[in-house]
Amino acid sequence: MTALNETEVKQSSEDEPSLLERISKERTRYILFFTSTSVILITLGIIQTLLFEATTFFSEVADGRGWFSAEMDLSGLASSSGMALLVLVACLALEWGLSQRPQFLSKAPALVTSPTKPVVYGLVAATAILWLVVESFLLCLVLLVPWFMWKRTVNAYLVLSSPSSKSTDKSVMYGLFFGSLTVLFFSITTNYGGALGEFFFSTQWTPTGACADRRSLCDNMSFGVNSLLFTTIQVAFGALFIAVPLGVGCAIYLSEYASPRLVAVVKPTLELLAGIPSVVYGFFAFIYIGPLVVEFGEFAFARGWIDAPPNVLNPINGAIVVGVMILPLVASMSEDALRAVPNELREGSLALGATRIETTFRVMIQASLSGILASIILALSRAVGETMAVTLAVGTVAVYTTNMFLPAQTMTAYIAQRVGGDLPFGEIGYLTIFAVGLYLFVITLCLNLLGNKVLSAYREAY
Amino acid sequence: MKKDIDLLKKRNRRRRDVMEKVGSTGLALSGLIGLMFLSVLVWQIAIPTFIEGETGEVSPASEFIPVSEYILKWDHPTVDDNGDLIGDEVVLRLTWDDNGAERTHDVAITVTSERNLREDIVVNESGVSTDAVTVGKKTKFYVQSSLTVPVEIEQLTGPVPAADETGSPAVSSFVISADVDVLVSEGELVSHPFALVAWVVLLVSIVLLSYPVTPLLKGMESLIGRQRMLRFGSYGLGVLTLLAGAFSLEAYLGAACWVVSAVGMNRMLEGMERLRSQGRDITQFDRLKHSITNREGVLLWARMLLVFSALFIPLLVDIPFLTERYQDIFQPYASGIRSAFFGTIWVMGIAMVVSMPVSIGAAIYLEEYAAPTGMTKLIQALVTNLAGVPSIVFGMFGLAVFVKQGGIGMGLGPSILAAGFTMGVMAMPIIVLASQEALRSVPSSIRESAYGVGCTQWQVTRDHVLPSAMPGIMTGSILAMSRIMGEAAPLVVVGAAALVLFDPEPLAGITGGNLNFTVIPIQIYFWTSEPEHAWHSMAAAASISLILLLATMNSVAILLRQHFRKRLNP
Repeated sequence: MTALNETEVKQSSEDEPSLLERISKERTRYILFFTSTSVILITLGIIQTLLFEATTFFSEVADGRGWFSAEMDLSGLASSSGMALLVLVACLALEWGLSQRPQFLSKAPALVTSPTKPVVYGLVAATAILWLVVESFLLCLVLLVPWFMWKRTVNAYLVLSSPSSKSTDKSVMYGLFFGSLTVLFFSITTNYGGALGEFFFSTQWTPTGACADRRSLCDNMSFGVNSLLFTTIQVAFGALFIAVPLGVGCAIYLSEYASPRLVAVVKPTLELLAGIPSVVYGFFAFIYIGPLVVEFGEFAFARGWIDAPPNVLNPINGAIVVGVMILPLVASMSEDALRAVPNELREGSLALGATRIETTFRVMIQASLSGILASIILALSRAVGETMAVTLAVGTVAVYTTNMFLPAQTMTAYIAQRVGGDLPFGEIGYLTIFAVGLYLFVITLCLNLLGNKVLSAYREAY
Repeated sequence: MKKDIDLLKKRNRRRRDVMEKVGSTGLALSGLIGLMFLSVLVWQIAIPTFIEGETGEVSPASEFIPVSEYILKWDHPTVDDNGDLIGDEVVLRLTWDDNGAERTHDVAITVTSERNLREDIVVNESGVSTDAVTVGKKTKFYVQSSLTVPVEIEQLTGPVPAADETGSPAVSSFVISADVDVLVSEGELVSHPFALVAWVVLLVSIVLLSYPVTPLLKGMESLIGRQRMLRFGSYGLGVLTLLAGAFSLEAYLGAACWVVSAVGMNRMLEGMERLRSQGRDITQFDRLKHSITNREGVLLWARMLLVFSALFIPLLVDIPFLTERYQDIFQPYASGIRSAFFGTIWVMGIAMVVSMPVSIGAAIYLEEYAAPTGMTKLIQALVTNLAGVPSIVFGMFGLAVFVKQGGIGMGLGPSILAAGFTMGVMAMPIIVLASQEALRSVPSSIRESAYGVGCTQWQVTRDHVLPSAMPGIMTGSILAMSRIMGEAAPLVVVGAAALVLFDPEPLAGITGGNLNFTVIPIQIYFWTSEPEHAWHSMAAAASISLILLLATMNSVAILLRQHFRKRLNP
């Protein structure tokens, strides 16, 4: 019996071909596999490029300013956000300890597990007084966590005293863990001490300060990406403001109302709109939309609604043109989502006596909401990453202002404008574009992941 | 319940009717606004392609500046030595507001070859001093106004101030001019007679394949059985055309015409033979249509070839803006996009060669071979997310990997090769997704029947799945190419130049030589950034050229898609 088993094992090990044999036998399969791994290589290449140069940028800024980059600013830990961190970590430790050894609860004093009313009221008053004293919003928010933890502990004690199963819910622990990570980040960077803090929290973007030597770092330079990010957000959300009502409306009309002949005209036109290059849209914004916006801005300036005269290059201009650019995307994706809804839902609603508009708004849109949402998220990601149209329409002055009639600069426009001139590798200007690019990449990646997740959710539903 | 229905009937019907109408109209309007944007866009880009002459405004006079002036200057004379007009006459129109009434006055300007001849135009309360002035070339002269309102100046006709000796361009002429010569150009045939004959033969065979008339079919009947002779005869003629045309573009097109028409005629003769062997009448075109192998496909390719070669063989379409003129920094209107045009073609060609095999291979692996493991899921997720990465990030990837020397950089410099690789990487996820979609839509019955007769996996893929999926893959690839053709952002990062005065060298990144290159979108970007209005006209003209090129590519893709869709589901 054992001998038989041994021969079987031997045979199967002989049948098992080595990797080299497998490759020579199934050559096509492996060639095709290697072509598909190029996707991984490209992604890794992008991430490596961006991360490497961005890290160089941060460490160079920190070096140039006399900060040691790894240390950042640990004095932030002693501030109110540091206190918040301590509270969170204590709660986390408590949660972890209780999840490991729940029987400890029975040894806890009765004041904790079954508090009397005076104790509770006293603690509420203490918290209220702390709120008045502490000015940090973060700490005030974090002070609510112990209350929540206490309530859980009491509940856990009640559960423990009855013979029920152990709780396996770990979401609170994860929540506390990521919460404390976030607070840690805030507490060491909010003082604008470190290079990261300057990049993420300050609002002045002057990468070419008035320095003797433009190429190296000097104190007049400031790298607060928020001024670029703010304009990007203005443009992207302004674009959604235009594209979402028009695009979704268009999609509903095409899928619910329009005759096939009209669809045959409108759909190719939308495809054509989607096919026009972004630099042509930029030219269009520059010669046509800009002057129109200026006329409106002058009207507003004359009435004192805005505090500075308008310029031809402005975020509104960019928002309008990017809105027109992403309109076909929203329209076609939303239409796909609406068409994917089973016809029974529509017919059922109509059979109950609802009008078509009621069916559309109360049944069809509800049913395809996740698809429409996905189209909006992906359109937002496209709007954030749009470059040439925005460079030509919004301008090249990085300012942090809420006045949308003044020239500003988005993140993509900064990269395009900065790299347009001669840019020797390794100098600070060259490194800034990678730091901005990494931030842009992370934002669009998050939006894409979210959008694709929502999209697959509705694909699964039908 | 009854109460509810009554309510619905009586009280709400009116409101619901109104809601229905308003709602549907609103939704229709939102679709129409999209269309309106498109028409406004095309219209607004078309306007600047018509050249404007001198336009401006004389600022109003005040107590500090009693007479305000506006400088005018023409570079070349508008009359020859005998005093005859060379081109159009230059006419300026002055317009101003005279106490609420609009007053206009036209002034004719004669520019002579004599220098330093100056005559000013004076505008005051009583009107304009003169109806015609004579000035010298390259001489400044003025419009002087003592009015307290602005005077607008507009050139109605004649050459623009920076025109060349021949008086072109003139006001309101179109920037993109095209010379079309039919058959004969300057006393010579536009192409070799062989090529011309080939084109005519292609035309005839297309007509025969699509609308055969009975006498022609009867005439062809005598050719049945001589297909071999016909085929080798056409191939010989093709070679002859190539040799006679000295391997020019026309010669290649002529040879292609011979080959395609030979294929078409051969298939038709085979079909007729098949019909006759069944004992049917070959003049029944309905039957003949179905017995010709892949008639629709041959017709599609033949028609495309006919239209494309028509630009070179019977006609000679010459668009100097696109294929002859380089950028001219002193005379904007004399500029063209030759270097950008060829740069675009090279960048797209390299991108296609780099990306298509890799991405189609990846798509085949993911759809046909891969087991649903974690690796496959990862690759799939990466493809989906790469398709959404902003184009400028790809540009930065290209800058660090292809352009830069050292580290992981290949050190190609800001050259066509680096640009082509970058664009290829950018096109890859789009092509993978489109090809996957196409492979997925191939019915699994095809695969199963091929496995059923004992094919290996690669044979199934190569011989059965790929041919059915090819139209979808091709459409996706063409659309991806047309998308990267309009992209400027990655190439701005890679380092396309603003001013290129020569044809690009595609392999300069490896062999050395001049690296500079530009593409049409980059040219539009840099021209739009110029302050002078004339450059905006050129940017508009380049935009229109680009849109037309893209529209052509997209319509080829759509034609292919519709044709093959019809063939797959007859």
